[in-house]
Amino acid sequence: MNPDFGNPAFWHRLHFAFTITYHYLFPQLTMGLAWFIVFWKWKALRTGDEKFNRAARFWAKIFGLNFAVGVVTGIPMEFQFGTNWAGFSRYAGGIVGQTLAMEGMFAFFLESAFIGALIWGEKRLGPRNHFLAAVGVAIGSWLSGYFILVTNAFMQHPKGYAVTSNEVLSLADVGAYLTNPWGLVQFAHNQSAALVTGSFVIAAIGAFYQLRGVHSEQAKLYLNAGTLIGLVASIAVAFPTGDAQAKMVGNHQPVTLAAMEGRFQGGRLADLAVIGQPNVEQQRLENPIQLPGALSFLAYGTFKSYVRGLNEFPKDNWPDNVELLYYAFHIMITLGMIFIVIMGLATWQRWRGRLESSTGLLWVLMLAFPFPYIANTLGWMTAELGRQPWLIYGLFRTSAGYSKVVGAGDTIFTLIGFAGLYFILGLLFLYLVGREIYHGPDTAGPDSSTLSNAAVSL
Amino acid sequence: MIALWYGILAFMLATYIVLDGRNFGAGILHWIVAKSPAERRQVIAAIGPLWSWHEVWLVGTGGVMVMAFPRLTAAAFSGYYLALFLILWCVLLRGISIEVGGHINDRLWQTFWDAVFVLSNILLAVLFGAASGNLVRGVPLNRDGTFYLAFFTDFRVHGNVGLLDWYTVSMALFCVLLLTAHGATYLTMKTEGAVHGRAAAIARRLWIAAIPAFLLITLLTWQVRPELFRGLIFRPLAWISLCICVASIIALLTGLRTGREHRALLGSTFLLFGLLMTGAASLYPVMLFSTIDPADQLTAPLCAASDQSLRIATPWWFSALVLAFIYLFIIQRHYSGKVNVSKDNQGLY
Repeated sequence: MNPDFGNPAFWHRLHFAFTITYHYLFPQLTMGLAWFIVFWKWKALRTGDEKFNRAARFWAKIFGLNFAVGVVTGIPMEFQFGTNWAGFSRYAGGIVGQTLAMEGMFAFFLESAFIGALIWGEKRLGPRNHFLAAVGVAIGSWLSGYFILVTNAFMQHPKGYAVTSNEVLSLADVGAYLTNPWGLVQFAHNQSAALVTGSFVIAAIGAFYQLRGVHSEQAKLYLNAGTLIGLVASIAVAFPTGDAQAKMVGNHQPVTLAAMEGRFQGGRLADLAVIGQPNVEQQRLENPIQLPGALSFLAYGTFKSYVRGLNEFPKDNWPDNVELLYYAFHIMITLGMIFIVIMGLATWQRWRGRLESSTGLLWVLMLAFPFPYIANTLGWMTAELGRQPWLIYGLFRTSAGYSKVVGAGDTIFTLIGFAGLYFILGLLFLYLVGREIYHGPDTAGPDSSTLSNAAVSL
Repeated sequence: MIALWYGILAFMLATYIVLDGRNFGAGILHWIVAKSPAERRQVIAAIGPLWSWHEVWLVGTGGVMVMAFPRLTAAAFSGYYLALFLILWCVLLRGISIEVGGHINDRLWQTFWDAVFVLSNILLAVLFGAASGNLVRGVPLNRDGTFYLAFFTDFRVHGNVGLLDWYTVSMALFCVLLLTAHGATYLTMKTEGAVHGRAAAIARRLWIAAIPAFLLITLLTWQVRPELFRGLIFRPLAWISLCICVASIIALLTGLRTGREHRALLGSTFLLFGLLMTGAASLYPVMLFSTIDPADQLTAPLCAASDQSLRIATPWWFSALVLAFIYLFIIQRHYSGKVNVSKDNQGLY
């Protein structure tokens, strides 16, 4: 499909897609790192070993920078529901607004109260309270993720709503809304994926120090924790959570499943596409390599299950960009498999006590950390492109949701503004985090300062 | 139920303005009260640890608005499109300047981020001031309850108005004055030495200047929306808010005179809060007033989510509020008292 530049909806979608994709680069690491920091604080508390404190302190600094960028890029998102998606806010605000407001009230107040204490308050709080601050921040960040995923789950698979007399949505059953099965599965899948990002980043820094021959005690700690949690999380992303997510799509959005697989004709013994290019005009998958029957089995549990093809659905219910959806999904799956292999090998070598000396594998670990970010982004693209052409699946179309009073020109202007700001922000982030990594974990004591700068900020 | 949620929304927005307003004020005064790099770090340290907790009130207000008044969110956020993005970008730059300014001990680096900090805070005070002027004056609402606001049109307050006109500009200036005075009062409490002396002197002068300015802005408001004052008489909530204002003024003035800095800050906090709540009470039930045809205005019942949605939200909102203040209470103890640059260093490297 060619993007329709003349349609304001295209620019509103790109506007939201760009800002949310950029924003989510930061929370995925925040959520992934949070529990590592809690774990090291806990180990330090239990064993009294200073190396755990050093690890927690170092990662809390990375966490803090990452958190700050996450906060400032997240604030606009809350308002973009109204600025760019006025139709959607008006129609569904009464229900999706519940979780947006809950996120602010329950999660953000918790996180923002304790983040300063976690990063700068070690001396002022004492070890026990400092550990509790870390727990508070970790719970806050995961709670925030839960509320956003429940909001998204409602858009994917609406539950707990009623339609009022003036044709807008109302919350009817808060329990059903908050425990939407789609949301629970998505939460498990997404949080495992955040842990994959966190553990790959930690392992990468461990490998970086190990290869340079510096901070070897810390490097070992990062490699151990990163590869172990990395393996567990990489497996959990695929099975059971990814598998459950795909079954969810198969059961509730069969047309999306067909598009994700580039499957135009329906039938039993459906093949799983490993490689191939969907050709929407001629309605076929070109140059395919397929696993016979595997799609039937994965989506519905038996090889004989019937898997529907795109042709069985009216064309105006097809996801409007089948190709991008197909590629996003397949590259995500491929990366997920590669993660299991990398972390599996690393864990095996570590078990044999040879990880620190496996130079090749350390190079792979050091350079692999961007790929979980790519996989997370592609996963979200799969979820959101697959939902099209609906904004709320089966209830409300995307074309009805954008702000009719905001012209494409203003949307493009603010999109370019965000692009510029976020470019500078990205450079700044990389520079400061790079500096932090270069200085390393062994230089600083609790709240120590070689400079006389002030500000107790994050 | 709708009135309750109108009150909650007004409460959250007013709390945000009061809490972050002192940061705006401190930011506006940054270059005036703090001359040396060490003094500037003192100002940043005074607002450092809790600015993100303050900003959560803005995010929370946004969330509550989407939930409780979906139609208002839809009309207002898209109508104020460009102005709102300007605010959001300033919030973003301001947050970054607080975060990264102290990260590197380099004079040029810090001067640059101080400049970003000052400019974004000035713009934020102006924009929020203009926004409050807009709430009072109204917007050019169409028949279908939507509008799209230009930055300015002919600077008149009726008909096809823009974001800025003579009234909203006056309101913006008034707001800058009040928030600067508020920020100076806060810095008086948090700082020591030269910064403290300058902030205290500025606070006294600005609060005195605020009295004629307030009378003037009241007169101007009378010109723009005379019916608001008639409504005020029949609103018990407005009377309570006015009483809060009067008590706060007494606390503020005696606090400033006798050097009781906590009392002065409480006074200025509740004065701003009271003024904002009085405004909200006098505007009720209109949420967006139409400058074209008063019959097209958007009222709270028109904008509100279903009764059921609001009923479900009430208990969780109150419990979340209690939790939020418990966190604040736990953490506030560690930051209380004067900022100490050597103790409150950013733990830099």
